[in-house]
Amino acid sequence: MRQFDYVRAADLGDAVRALSGGAKLLAGGTTLYDLMKLRIEQPEHIVDINHLSELKRFDTSGSSELVFGALSRMSDVAANPLLIRDYPAISESLWRAASQQLRNMASLGGNLLQRTRCPYFRGGEPYACNKREPGSGCAAIEGLDRGQALLGMSHACSAVYPGDFAIALIAFDARVDLIGPRGERTISVEQLHREPGETPHIETTLGPDEIIVRIRVPVTQLGRASTYLKIRDRESYAFALASAAVALEMDGDMVRDARVALGGLATRPWRARGTERKLIGGPLNEQTARDAGEAALEGAAPGHSNAFRIELGIRTVAEALMTARKRGLTS
Amino acid sequence: MTSVSFPDTARVDALQKVRGAPIFASDDARPGMLHAALAVSTIPRGRILAIDAREARAAPGVRLVLTHEDLADLQLPGFLVGGYGFQNFQPLRTPDVAYRGQPIAIVVADTFEAATEAAALIHASYTEEHFDPTIDSPGAESLDQADTPIGKFLTEPVAGDADEAFAAAPVKIDIELTCPTQHQNPIELVATVAEWEGDKLIVHEGTQNSGALRHGLAQVLGIPAGQVEVISPFVGGGFGQKNSLQMQTALAAVAARRAGAPVKLVVTRAQLFHGSGFRPASRHRVRLGADSAGILLAAIHEVDSQTSRHDFFPGEYAATSSRLYGWGAFRGVQRLVRTDTQTPGFMRAPFEHPACFAMETAIDELAYALGKDPVDLRLANDTSIDPITGLPFSSRHAATCLRRGAERFGWSARSRAPQSMRGADGSYIGWGMALGAYPGMMIASIVKLSATHNGGIEIALGAHEMGQGIRTVIAAVTGRRLGVPPGEVTVVIGDTRAAPQQPTAGSWGTASATLAAETAADAMLEALAKLTPGSSIDGRSPSEILRDAGRASLEVEAMVKAPGQSEEVFDLIRAGKLLRAGPVFDNCVSFSFIAHFVEVRVEPRLRRIRVPRAVSVADCGRVISPRTAASQVRGGVVWGIGAALREASETDPRYGGFLNTDLAEYVIPVNADIGSIDVDFVDEPDSLLDSGIKSLGEVSLCGVAPAIANAIFHATGRRLRELPIRIEHMI
Repeated sequence: MRQFDYVRAADLGDAVRALSGGAKLLAGGTTLYDLMKLRIEQPEHIVDINHLSELKRFDTSGSSELVFGALSRMSDVAANPLLIRDYPAISESLWRAASQQLRNMASLGGNLLQRTRCPYFRGGEPYACNKREPGSGCAAIEGLDRGQALLGMSHACSAVYPGDFAIALIAFDARVDLIGPRGERTISVEQLHREPGETPHIETTLGPDEIIVRIRVPVTQLGRASTYLKIRDRESYAFALASAAVALEMDGDMVRDARVALGGLATRPWRARGTERKLIGGPLNEQTARDAGEAALEGAAPGHSNAFRIELGIRTVAEALMTARKRGLTS
Repeated sequence: MTSVSFPDTARVDALQKVRGAPIFASDDARPGMLHAALAVSTIPRGRILAIDAREARAAPGVRLVLTHEDLADLQLPGFLVGGYGFQNFQPLRTPDVAYRGQPIAIVVADTFEAATEAAALIHASYTEEHFDPTIDSPGAESLDQADTPIGKFLTEPVAGDADEAFAAAPVKIDIELTCPTQHQNPIELVATVAEWEGDKLIVHEGTQNSGALRHGLAQVLGIPAGQVEVISPFVGGGFGQKNSLQMQTALAAVAARRAGAPVKLVVTRAQLFHGSGFRPASRHRVRLGADSAGILLAAIHEVDSQTSRHDFFPGEYAATSSRLYGWGAFRGVQRLVRTDTQTPGFMRAPFEHPACFAMETAIDELAYALGKDPVDLRLANDTSIDPITGLPFSSRHAATCLRRGAERFGWSARSRAPQSMRGADGSYIGWGMALGAYPGMMIASIVKLSATHNGGIEIALGAHEMGQGIRTVIAAVTGRRLGVPPGEVTVVIGDTRAAPQQPTAGSWGTASATLAAETAADAMLEALAKLTPGSSIDGRSPSEILRDAGRASLEVEAMVKAPGQSEEVFDLIRAGKLLRAGPVFDNCVSFSFIAHFVEVRVEPRLRRIRVPRAVSVADCGRVISPRTAASQVRGGVVWGIGAALREASETDPRYGGFLNTDLAEYVIPVNADIGSIDVDFVDEPDSLLDSGIKSLGEVSLCGVAPAIANAIFHATGRRLRELPIRIEHMI
């Protein structure tokens, strides 16, 4: 078999040094092993970080922020009672991803970095893929594009960012703390993922030797009136055709603050700030929710067989807004 | 006739199964066993110019690499109809590439991982040829089935002058429908463990047809069939994927011989999309003519379905759609479209599910055109006489299925107009229904039954357990006949060492195995009676009789023909060939029927479709194993939901082959997609066999898809004639 070294990192510094030497991190392994079996990832060194306690802090008791260590398991965070009550969009984004078995294994840090499910990326030879082999071309753009992105594509790549959790996180202005050889830094989750541009193989702004340590979500009044709505080809265990994370702060019928982010439609987690500005200060009803959906999908460019996902995305945003509004009334 | 129903009993292998005790071929491990992996073609059609296996041969742990340069002496298996293979094409026999994903090399190594890695190091160069990958490819050749070599065996059903009757009919329906390519995707992957003991080849493989494996392997390898044994005690889901010799079995056998060790070859999920048969795509045009009272005057069912370039995979759609009602005239038309794929296969209800989708959608459309209730229209056109042959049905309780299903479902509360029923949450409620039919077929058997003085009963025959519960049925009927509990009957099936093996497919398993077991048990009772002349054997167990007679054991063999078959069938069985009887018998025609009633809910804005409940009432003759029979029907309804709303194998026409080759992207239903499924049986004995049984497994699926599509029409007013129906068709 293809040989690789496996080491357990002694501490975070050790893990960073290994990364600098070209290693891949092993957390839940649900993406890494999958892609290794497909020969898309071919690491020579694997560094297991599963035992590093610095990455495990999971604390929702703080008055200013929620803290999710990068190694928190999806299932543990999804089932957290405070999140279910006060931040349903976060809990739902995790519940509606993958299967229970995968959620039990998968880490939050790894989930943020999950790679695309584009079938041409995963299919290997003979399909051209600029992500898999930079410069080889993109078979998807002129191919079966029902599941391809409608927002944020380039002529080099139309692969969708597949995750759910990141969509909820960007709606809440979450940040990630990173550690690298030059110490720690913090960026917003929204800054973490890149659009493909000319370099689809470079998917994040993470340095090659940086590790996600934790995710921090500012405590906000917007949490309770929030939802993550995911539309897919079956009721579970499927990636989104369209999804929306929505959070509201209402003042009677008027929107005081709003957050809208899209999943399953774009090449990266997609915050719809223009839509938010449109909503804030106005009433929320069926019509304004629909208008907000249309604004969120502005600029969406259909291919051969994915145009339906523009209308689906519009309706997903509108439906999520009405659900969040209802939650705002009852909380 | 069997007048008493069988009791509800657990599967005889239930305890074994829930403990994970049955050993499937892919679980098999034996001393010194090596592992194999396949390298596959990356082009859709052409010829291998050169193949470079140097890197693979040098890889760590690799024992052996075989390509077409090493295997020119392999023979062709013949296509299942008349031969043994799922296709009459054996990869690695020549440098020819017939489809993308075709194996071009087999690697044997110490571990699965080493073999897999080395297989990826094999590089081939090709000359490429023009290819037509799908039924819609502009250049794909279309042939009238009647003009192909299989045409003389498959005559299209015709009754009266359907064209004239259609032209004259006052009410007409003329619609076109499509069904996609689909793959079976049983959880157990296709896997072979091949081991040589001297000149004898022993194959462990989960197959529905160990007889075809034995004789097919003998033919491909050029050795006597007596030197091949095939053992398949459990199949982890068949669905027609494992009903013949697959392409990998002979490769594993050759590899084991050359490596001098047992070899295990598990075909990966992605490779299976190109490594076995699949449901071919089909296009249908249905024309119906009726009078204004709703009496069907004419039906014309034209079908184009997909075959491969190297085989003629038959199309037998109209053979079933023609039996749904008592129309005045009928005409079936069958064309085959040749594509550059592996040969399609007999995936569960291969013709009957698409045929019922087409015809039962048309019938629903006719009901709306006439302003009639869909159940009433079907009842008005029921028939006890087969419209094609003029013979009576062996039994037909389609009307009972329709009436009882309507009652259980609460059909009378339905308002007929589309979009007229709404849920409290604003969702559109649709109630739809359809009839399904499937031919009643049977096969002959050679059965061995033995009894010992200490209570052991063992029965061996040609049958395969793929989860449908045939072992439970055989134990129940044998035990009942001999007066011993089913748990005391050892059932040996799927084993060429024990008895000649026939394919378990076509929903003929239960009827055939029951006939075989009952006949063998009667022979045993007769032989036991001869041991105790003068005294009755009534109320005495075989072991008591043997002890009283001073015998250690007794064995009988029974040769059991299906109705209408001649003695020559036993020579065919011994040669691993199939001769099925039915659905047309000397004095009757046998079909099973089922009525499905389905509720769908369509969200008002997001338009997602959900199927909260289904009611299914089946006419399968006598129900011999209530628990596994109900399980079969529930499984069929789940399959129907998948077929109607989810599953399609996708091909990028620029590349050929299939693209969505895993269980994440090939969308089978999950538990959350399935609501309540209420199953009932008419449970009236069929007239053909003493047991009163007719087919069940596959009829369960037939009619589910049109019931759902008809319910969607009722919910939304949208008539959707292309499967699967997905959210893009709804918004």
